[in-house]
Amino acid sequence: MTAQLPERTETVPQWRQDLDRVGFLRNLLQARKWYGGDWWFVAVSSFLLLLIIIVGVFPQWFAPYDPRAEVGPSLLSPGQVPLDFVLLVRADAGIENFKSIATSKNNIGFVIASSSSQALRQAVVTLNETSQAEGETTRYNPRPRRFETIADGLKALDAGELDAFIAAPSELEGQTEQYPNLTVLGGLAEETGQARGFVMGTNQIGQDVFSRIIWGTRIALIVGLASALVAVVIGVPLGLISGFVGGPLDRVLTLVMDSLYSFPSIILALSIAAVLGAGIGNIIIAIAVIYIPTYFRIVRGQTLSIKEELYVDAARSLGHRPVEILVKYIFPNVIPSVVTIFSVNVADAILTEAGLSFLGLGLPPDTPDWGIDLARGQDYLRRAWWLITFPGAMVSLVTLAFSLLGESLSEILNPRLAEL
Amino acid sequence: MSPSFRNFLITRLLLTIPMVLILMSMVFFIMRILPGDPIRSQLGPRVSEAQAEQMRERLGLNRPLHIQYFTFLKNMLTLDFGNALTQGERPIRDELAERFPATVELILPAMLITGFLGIYSGAYAAKHRKQPVDYIIRLISIVVYSFPIFFLGLVFQIIFSVRLNLLPIAGRMDTLMLTNFQSPTNFYVLDAILTQNWPALGSVLKHLILPSVTLGLALTGVFTRLTRVNMIEMLQSDFITSGRARGIPENTLVYRHSLRNTLIPIITLLGLQFAILLAGAVLTETTFSWPGLGRYLFERISLRDYTAVQAVISVFALLVGLISLGIDLLYALVDPRIRY
Repeated sequence: MTAQLPERTETVPQWRQDLDRVGFLRNLLQARKWYGGDWWFVAVSSFLLLLIIIVGVFPQWFAPYDPRAEVGPSLLSPGQVPLDFVLLVRADAGIENFKSIATSKNNIGFVIASSSSQALRQAVVTLNETSQAEGETTRYNPRPRRFETIADGLKALDAGELDAFIAAPSELEGQTEQYPNLTVLGGLAEETGQARGFVMGTNQIGQDVFSRIIWGTRIALIVGLASALVAVVIGVPLGLISGFVGGPLDRVLTLVMDSLYSFPSIILALSIAAVLGAGIGNIIIAIAVIYIPTYFRIVRGQTLSIKEELYVDAARSLGHRPVEILVKYIFPNVIPSVVTIFSVNVADAILTEAGLSFLGLGLPPDTPDWGIDLARGQDYLRRAWWLITFPGAMVSLVTLAFSLLGESLSEILNPRLAEL
Repeated sequence: MSPSFRNFLITRLLLTIPMVLILMSMVFFIMRILPGDPIRSQLGPRVSEAQAEQMRERLGLNRPLHIQYFTFLKNMLTLDFGNALTQGERPIRDELAERFPATVELILPAMLITGFLGIYSGAYAAKHRKQPVDYIIRLISIVVYSFPIFFLGLVFQIIFSVRLNLLPIAGRMDTLMLTNFQSPTNFYVLDAILTQNWPALGSVLKHLILPSVTLGLALTGVFTRLTRVNMIEMLQSDFITSGRARGIPENTLVYRHSLRNTLIPIITLLGLQFAILLAGAVLTETTFSWPGLGRYLFERISLRDYTAVQAVISVFALLVGLISLGIDLLYALVDPRIRY
């Protein structure tokens, strides 16, 4: 047997020996064999998580608009280009573009309760922004004039009472023939650069859904990670001490933690958040409280069994102080299981956060947050499917990435499930 | 009743008392000691200090904390919740009595769905461990788990109510039918059957489908995973190996011998699941405007009605304590090894 060993190393080809020096990558790829599908689960979820974290840290790289700004007409479906509105002017007035009739001396007419008024308002806002950026000092603010019907407005325009009239092209069909003096100036949105669609549509107040879910990633990650961390920082030491010291302290703590653990998590968080009031710090506290027992229970259980190990006895007989034993010998051994739960826990915390803000608790109402967007989208269920689909899909995706990682890690690391 | 079981029963009963006490104290702690004044937030900033003081007087909130604590415990344990602060100021006990049956009616079918789907898919995955089927089932269960319950509900509403127009979008019953419907027990299904009101029964069942399937499906993921892990351990035990050696068919081994033994830990999990089920019910009821306890809690939190909120949370605490007691007793009855 021993004589054969050198021969076998000679049969290893040169490229493979070179690859062995790189080591890490090869080991990683070889691990596929032992872990099977779980390897792929870990690989895919790590990749997903990396992407999500990049998006969460640098949302400004991905989001085209400010998540709080009203950048378009309300309730545009994904990819839909907003209806363009045209300006009608008298041909002899010599008007070239919207800008030249948008000062406060001009009158612009529109039909009452039509979306053209919103288009006009938005065009004025954009016009002011661009002119300010170019260094102009003029403020554009045309006087709006309301009319009952298009025919009334056109008559007034023809008579010279108005400088321009705004309407959608489809509304104008068959109305302009009797006024040969009027011409169509061109698309309003085109001139101000607003003739564009939105990848995931806009919500009920004209915010870009895509930008909002991108910025929502940051909130979800902050709340998920921070609350899980707080729970670890409180739960792990308590579990260590409780398991190590034992006695009445252990019994009381276990009883309290078990009661907390058995209580429906979201109801507990709900009541804490309701009492504390809105705010990202408060929601982190409310969610952290419900996960402390999870860590406590696992760590305490492990501490109890590790405490009986021979090397702990040895350390004790060598005269180590209890604190030293706890920190140096027991704590390192509970780290793997804490890491595994942590991942699943972040997933759960993100779900809970979405649930709390869906119920209207936790975050200030203008925050770009998935739960808040879902709650608002619920009112537009019949008209706008995209308002709930995209934020909901994001919550699911992020939760999926974290729990897939946690699940497959625990499957790989769990010695009870290892096959003999 | 054997003496050992009686001992178990007594110990377990005694252990339930501190648990319920701790949960109640927690409710008290959250409501009184955490920063935030329930009276101020109820009355709003415009009300004078004198009026706020009057309200505190009326609710006994100006007494010393320890006296408040004991009165609170006494009231909650005798189910004397007082009157709500808003919406007609009715006795909270009456309101809860109307809402509670709705929650039970939602939870029971959801539990059945979760149980069947979860246990069978978990057992199937365990039997085919490390085969493609196993990975697919696990992936599905993780995906299902990752769906927020209210999102699942909203998607179902869009598909089945808005697009296909098959099922009602919300509520417990058609509003037109509800006006003529007498429900002494508030269990609509039960009352419809007892009065042989078949159209009403149809309407109630139709309204029940979406919420209960949502709640049931959302919890199936957890169940599948727990069953699978427990089954894998069970399938590696000695009695399965010896059964295999005696030539017992594999399916009998998996679905009869080992699934039955796995049911014991699963019953305990069912107890823990009950808490998750209640939590899920709050979100499901809010999504589907289902007039149960969860929706009541949500409504009263929005109204800042703190006596009602504290009452509902206490009821939840009592329920959790009782259910976990019940599950443990069941567990001990099924498995004689479990004794203190």
